[in-house]
Amino acid sequence: MDDGSFRQSQRLKTVVTDFNFTKAVQKNAAMTKIFVYHVSSMQDLKRLKAKIANGAIVCCECELQGDITIGSRTVIHPRAKIIALLGPIIIGENNIIEEQVQIINNGEDAMVIGNNNVFEVDCRVESKKIGDNNIVESKAFVGRQTSLSNGCVIGAKCEVLVHETLQEGSLFYGSGPDVKRRVQSDKPSAQGAQIEFLSKVLPNYHRIRKPLV
Amino acid sequence: MELEDIFFSTSEYVQTHTGNKVSRQSTLCGSQNIILNGKNIIMGESMIRGDLANVRMGQYCILSKQSVIRPPFKKFAKGVAFFPLHVGDHVFIGENSVVNAAVVGSYVYIGKNCVIGRRCILKDCCMIADNTVLPPETVVSPFTVYSGSPGHCIEELPEAMQDLMIDYTKSFYQHYIPDKDASGVNQLSIASRK
Repeated sequence: MDDGSFRQSQRLKTVVTDFNFTKAVQKNAAMTKIFVYHVSSMQDLKRLKAKIANGAIVCCECELQGDITIGSRTVIHPRAKIIALLGPIIIGENNIIEEQVQIINNGEDAMVIGNNNVFEVDCRVESKKIGDNNIVESKAFVGRQTSLSNGCVIGAKCEVLVHETLQEGSLFYGSGPDVKRRVQSDKPSAQGAQIEFLSKVLPNYHRIRKPLV
Repeated sequence: MELEDIFFSTSEYVQTHTGNKVSRQSTLCGSQNIILNGKNIIMGESMIRGDLANVRMGQYCILSKQSVIRPPFKKFAKGVAFFPLHVGDHVFIGENSVVNAAVVGSYVYIGKNCVIGRRCILKDCCMIADNTVLPPETVVSPFTVYSGSPGHCIEELPEAMQDLMIDYTKSFYQHYIPDKDASGVNQLSIASRK
């Protein structure tokens, strides 16, 4: 309905002849229908917006799509892509997600990422469950069937597609057809200092998304 | 061998008075900390992270599509620091490469899909083959080719590497020209070059 007909319907409301009155009621009903439609699409918009906890640093230049929850003190660099196609993505606290990282959930189940993880430049993660203290290095790929427990390191350019939950402290290295694995006993070191530095520096150079709970 | 002309659309690229050709699709974070010394090409979707620390690039540096240059960090007893990154002259960086080095010398060729680890030092006249992963703090000595994952030296380069890189980057720069059917200004620049 265009603006003109709306004004007309308003005028018709004032002229109370029988015929015009019914017409006006019809038109008003159409208007309310449109109004209801608009409200539902607004709700959709709100649902699609990422929930960002207080203290998280999420640059405006990164791409967030779908139902995403981001925990506090998580740093997301510009040009990172987090895409929840069907199911939601829930990201915990103290994570670092660097530029060009792709975190994609293309299944219906929720994708849960724990705390203190680091996703380095240009890695791609489709895993359903990621625990704590993991490091996914540059250009690594973690497939949908693989889940990370705690303290795992996926080396640069490693493609991990095994159908299992990786043991704690698993380490993948090498690249191409000869990716090797072993288990390390010591945990990867915490990234607290880097997060502190980044959360001080990034707001000086980038627009940061406001927290939205 | 003469390189073929590569055309770019004039609307996509910004040309500075020092001759830098910078794509609008590239992301230069913290541009006040980035120094391009002239005649560099920064292609689309590439990134330079000047917000983390200073980045200085020499002349005739070519940064291909989707490559990332990011200053490395080091952990100290108290806090972390990002180190400034210096890139020399006549450096070619291939598509999709991630450069986390502390220093990249002059006349260096970095191939496609490489990962140069944190605080690596690439000396002058070296070459990193395609799909190489250099572990953190690797030092690549002059006139060597590194390849593999983790990267190791596979062969040596000829002494003419300096001249080869100068020729290659200069002719790449000269053949990276605005689109033919653009405005008259560009037609002129093409004519004057010939």
